[in-house]
Amino acid sequence: MQDGRNEAATPWQRACHECDLLLAKAVAPTGQKLVCPRCNATLHRKAKHGIRYTAALSLTGLLLFIPAASLPLLQFSLFAFGAENTLLNGVMSLFDAGYYWLSSLVLFCSVLAPLWKFLLLAFVCWGSNWAFLDRPVAASVRWYQHLKEWGMLDVYMLGILVALVKMSDLGKMEIEPGLYCFVAMMLIANLTTLSFDPEAIWERIAHRRALRIAAAAPGGST
Amino acid sequence: MRRPHKALQQGLTACLCCHKLVTLPASGRCICPRCGARVHGRIDGSLMLTWALTITGALLLLPANILPIMTVIYLGSGEPSTIISGVMQLYNAGLWGIALIVFVASIAVPVMKLVGLALLLVQIQLRLPLIPLQAMRLYRVVSGIGRWSLLDLFMISILVALVDMGAIAQVEAGPGSTAFATVVVVTMMAARSFDPRLIWDIYDENLEVEAESENKGVAGNG
Repeated sequence: MQDGRNEAATPWQRACHECDLLLAKAVAPTGQKLVCPRCNATLHRKAKHGIRYTAALSLTGLLLFIPAASLPLLQFSLFAFGAENTLLNGVMSLFDAGYYWLSSLVLFCSVLAPLWKFLLLAFVCWGSNWAFLDRPVAASVRWYQHLKEWGMLDVYMLGILVALVKMSDLGKMEIEPGLYCFVAMMLIANLTTLSFDPEAIWERIAHRRALRIAAAAPGGST
Repeated sequence: MRRPHKALQQGLTACLCCHKLVTLPASGRCICPRCGARVHGRIDGSLMLTWALTITGALLLLPANILPIMTVIYLGSGEPSTIISGVMQLYNAGLWGIALIVFVASIAVPVMKLVGLALLLVQIQLRLPLIPLQAMRLYRVVSGIGRWSLLDLFMISILVALVDMGAIAQVEAGPGSTAFATVVVVTMMAARSFDPRLIWDIYDENLEVEAESENKGVAGNG
């Protein structure tokens, strides 16, 4: 600590992932964000709430996913005929019509990716409590980063709005209970994404590792 | 002049997945010790890959706009509509707000993305003098807005399931939607494969060249 040489060699903590600038600070203080002084990239944002908050949110999202995916979102009626739409039956009709690529893309972006995001985050937040899950947790965080931008519930929501307005002059459009669950799930998904801080997970893992080493060291030496 | 400390010059780099500062071995690539992702100094073949995906996207934009993306059949009659004619129909029906949303999402965004990426690529490839902060802003816009283009496809998948009453009213997807889906995926991947750190590399290089020629000028005068 008192070593003067430490000052000469600046202990770099982080490199900006967008402009490669070296920084001496790694994480932002609670409730604030760390911004790259050169390119203004947000490097790290530390939420006021901890890992538990994200865990609770992702669990809520998972619960909401069940009604949002199974209940009808909209109902369209014309004369005596009516049809309902759920998250999945649009994909099914596209698939039946032969649009395999389009239907799998819609399925992936509106159902699978959001579901996986919730599952991964729930697993990461709960699983990081146990040392034997360190590796799968690290892998999950990695997958989550790749999957992040493909969960498009908010875009789907806008699609619903456009469909609602576009078809309202043709027949009668009605909002079904599934839509409320869907909106709630979308909000929860955005909140979860915002509140998740991978740095906290890494910190937790590193902290536990340090404790383990500290506990093992005296035992090994005596 | 004081040079900014760049990570790569000191043999360090940020893991793009978990943002850990990693010391690069001589080979220039390794596995991130924290999250297990592959780490390179710069994304491997970033320019080539981004060029390829951008050109693919630009070519696919043609069938996406020429071929019909959906057909609304109402009381036995209906014409296939392309992306542009769909926007025009909405506008003519007086729904200019929705028309604007659809126009931005499915015409303006893909075109802007491709033009923006091409601009960045040309600037880097030809080592043109660039304003890095402006280029970064362009990059962030390009990588942020891409997902919203899927709006139209989500709307189609909703309508296909919702308006399905045989001869009375039916919505069918068209072949243009497949091309459009591919455009969106390809441009998202292109934005992903682009490495913004290259912008700063070029910028620093240009500055160095400038400083050198200035030095020479001073030396010559002296």
